[in-house]
Amino acid sequence: MAVRADDLPVPRGRPRLAGRVREWLDHESILGPVFVTPALLLLVLLVAYPFVMALYFSMSNAFIGRPSRWVGLHNFIALWDSDVFRQTFQNAFVFTSIAVAFKVVLGIILALLLNEQLWFKRMIRGAVLLPWVIPTALSTLGWWWMFNSLYSVVNWTGIALGIVDPPGPNWLGQRYYAMSAVIAVNVWRGLPFFAITILAGLVAIPKELYEAAEADGAGANARFWHVTLPLLRPVLAVVVLFSTIFTFGDFNIVYILTHGGPINATHLFATLSRQVGIDTGRIGEGAAISLYLFPLLVFVVWAQLRFVRKQVY
Amino acid sequence: MEPISRRRFLTTTAGGGLAGILATRVPPARGQQREISYLCWNNFAPASDKKLAEIGQRFTKDTGIKLKIDHVSHMGPQQQKYASEVQTQAGHDLVEMRMHFPWLYEPQLVDVSDVVGELEKKHGKAIGSAYEGAHVNGAWRAVPQYHAMFVATYREDLFKKASLKVPDTWEDLYTVGKELKKMGNPVGIPISQNYDSISTAGPVLWSFGGMEVDKDGKTVRINSPATVQTIEWYKKMFRDCMEPEVLSWSDASNNESIQQGKAGWIHNPVSAYIVAKQRKLVTADGINHHRSLGGPHGRHETDTPRHIAIWKFSKNVEPAKEWIRYLLGTREVYDEYIMSGDAFNLPVYEKLQDHPVLRTDPKYAALRGEGVQYHTYGWPAPPSDKVQLITNTYLLPNMIAKAVTGTSPKDAIAWAETEMKKILAG
Repeated sequence: MAVRADDLPVPRGRPRLAGRVREWLDHESILGPVFVTPALLLLVLLVAYPFVMALYFSMSNAFIGRPSRWVGLHNFIALWDSDVFRQTFQNAFVFTSIAVAFKVVLGIILALLLNEQLWFKRMIRGAVLLPWVIPTALSTLGWWWMFNSLYSVVNWTGIALGIVDPPGPNWLGQRYYAMSAVIAVNVWRGLPFFAITILAGLVAIPKELYEAAEADGAGANARFWHVTLPLLRPVLAVVVLFSTIFTFGDFNIVYILTHGGPINATHLFATLSRQVGIDTGRIGEGAAISLYLFPLLVFVVWAQLRFVRKQVY
Repeated sequence: MEPISRRRFLTTTAGGGLAGILATRVPPARGQQREISYLCWNNFAPASDKKLAEIGQRFTKDTGIKLKIDHVSHMGPQQQKYASEVQTQAGHDLVEMRMHFPWLYEPQLVDVSDVVGELEKKHGKAIGSAYEGAHVNGAWRAVPQYHAMFVATYREDLFKKASLKVPDTWEDLYTVGKELKKMGNPVGIPISQNYDSISTAGPVLWSFGGMEVDKDGKTVRINSPATVQTIEWYKKMFRDCMEPEVLSWSDASNNESIQQGKAGWIHNPVSAYIVAKQRKLVTADGINHHRSLGGPHGRHETDTPRHIAIWKFSKNVEPAKEWIRYLLGTREVYDEYIMSGDAFNLPVYEKLQDHPVLRTDPKYAALRGEGVQYHTYGWPAPPSDKVQLITNTYLLPNMIAKAVTGTSPKDAIAWAETEMKKILAG
């Protein structure tokens, strides 16, 4: 028996609503915001709110558990009077510039090696990532043990091989050694990120370019300087950008190895911020320390992204 | 009488009950949360933590109040916990605090003068260092729990072997320290950013007659001849009796150094010996203690009282007080707790000072501390949040570290003076 349209049951409230919702979602102007909202909410809750709170704290005389008042830029200006802060400012630039430079050079070398035809290539590539995968706090404890004056396996090995005189370098108690130690651990930890990202860039370089260069008589050196490096520039710029930001903001390595010592010689913004904001309760000043480089880092991000865009388009 | 339907009865009673609860703001007894949480530090004498858990279980059995004890590493992380709990107004009901911390968190702590009053009636007055740390602006903001004092810990076996005389003053220590370093067993006094560094620098400075801030709590007195003497003493100690490693030490490093057979003399509470004994280390038998060292201005020592505080945001203030009374107010329970700490936890009330725990090992004789004046950090300035900021910024050890690594004593002292003045003016 044929069914006429008039015989069909009239859709009641719920199906009518569902239909209307479906209709709305067909509009891009509605569907787009619906998809974006959860991510936006997460960003607001986890990034924007803490950031705005930090900004507020940095412009107040907040002390843990006590009422605070607005002091404007006073904290930022007063910090320059602090000898410890000036030392920290210098440390941060020394630490970041040396560590990033080492990571770039060693990262390129490691990526070039990993790009060669090696036995157990996949296993080696996986193993290289280990320092980056292990929780930093845990791996840095291992380094702390290796640099510890009482148990230092580094010194013990050096003494046993006759390379150093007993008792060996005071890795964490002498300012230059301590800075070298924290830089070494930062390079060790950050190297896989550089190597693997640069490797991805290397793999993407068309083989034909190398063949053409080779046909023109270019040796290995010339091929590296005139083919590999120019084509790696956008990748390098992004890696250096990220690494600069992460290295400036490093906390775990310094906190575990030296606590900022000896005599504040290895304090970075994050460790000094913790000491001032948490240990002494002055969270206003602590927040100002942690935000001090924010304008500079924003500029670095802008400049490097601009550079990347120029390279790509 | 009109019969009441079941539905009407339930609606009326539930509505009335709810209105009552809302009006009085007190939940019915059956629904009241009888559970408290207590944040402690890992005790340097680990057996003490086990005993605390055992006493906690008995407390729950006797009172019906559930007790959840959490432990946090002794230095550093606990400050993060305090800060986050205060900022979020949520967390534990009770917290263990060391030395002067009640001064830093005063506005957030419940006035526990009533509990301390009861305890003082039973056990006598709280000792001076506990009063300095927890009695804030006229009210007890934490209840004194126990204290651990610094003493001289040394390798008696090495001293006997080399016929060295046990030192009586800081100058004597220099004399024997030179010999110890030659023997490969240097003196181990940290000069780094940790509390043990302050715990030694304070007594040396006080013994030479110096201070950081005057009794008025406002005048910086670090720039004095006594500080110069202190720095000169540290310089020669660093050069002739110690190794540069002390610049990198944490609070645990001096303990480890003497336990592992390296250091010949350290300045520390008895925890180094207790742990060596418990772990059956070969050095345990050779370790002993002697009375704190003196100087031209007397024999001063650092005391580290511990207290229990209750956060104001706690919804369980009365049950929390009940736990404190249970742990510290009953003599038998308090004794049991003290004994478990193997003389690291010493009673903090006057009538209990000659405690049996001191007779459990002849090596604890030095803990009687005859002729020693005990203080908390910052003495003789009255404890205040600003004086404690000077402590927590490690100005004293950093001043000494600067001087022993090449900065002139004059410049190092001037640096410390400037930083201290800035804190007091802030």
